[in-house]
Amino acid sequence: MGKGQPNISNTIRSLRFHAGEMTQAQLAEKVGVTRQTIVAIEQGRYSPSLEVAFRIARAFGVPLEQAFQYGETE
Amino acid sequence: MSTKEISAFVMVLSAVVISGWVAWDAMGNGVAATAAEAAGKMVWAIGYSIVFNIVAVIVGVIVVSVARREEVKDERADERDRLINAKSMMAGYFVLSIGVLLVLIWQAFGLAANHAPYALFGISMLAGGAFAVSQIVQYRLS
Repeated sequence: MGKGQPNISNTIRSLRFHAGEMTQAQLAEKVGVTRQTIVAIEQGRYSPSLEVAFRIARAFGVPLEQAFQYGETE
Repeated sequence: MSTKEISAFVMVLSAVVISGWVAWDAMGNGVAATAAEAAGKMVWAIGYSIVFNIVAVIVGVIVVSVARREEVKDERADERDRLINAKSMMAGYFVLSIGVLLVLIWQAFGLAANHAPYALFGISMLAGGAFAVSQIVQYRLS
């Protein structure tokens, strides 16, 4: 895995807020996953597959990099 | 708490209750005299375990729904559920294979034939318990 821990952060909470306070359940339904999975992704406990990440970005109509950011911590 | 987590909790409870019942029966009434008799008892115990699981999951879902004042619905498994399931299967498989190996070694060193079904039953309950505990932990952590 190399040096440092891969660190994927996201702005889903903020994107939901700007999408008229979209609920986690509504986002889950749009993306096709469970609400628990959205909670886990939002809290950074679970990194979604590329497909789900794209579906989340598409649900907000934003590019992938605006929904998810990748950094490496030492 | 989702139905998948409720099922995992029930599985742990079922492993403890049914193993306890088998152990209590063996201590109270004695171990079955032959391997065939012991195996028959274990098949019944597995049957009871399946019934216990079904009833306890239904009761668990009702209790959690009442406590939350919101119906707990069974959602379709998504990629996270499948990943957690696969990791937990690995944990259960690991316990099962090591356990079966230990039972075989034990039998090679003289474990009585009528005790072997008890040992295999215990290992299968342990493996099921490991699978369920792993699910509970991963649903909490990931």
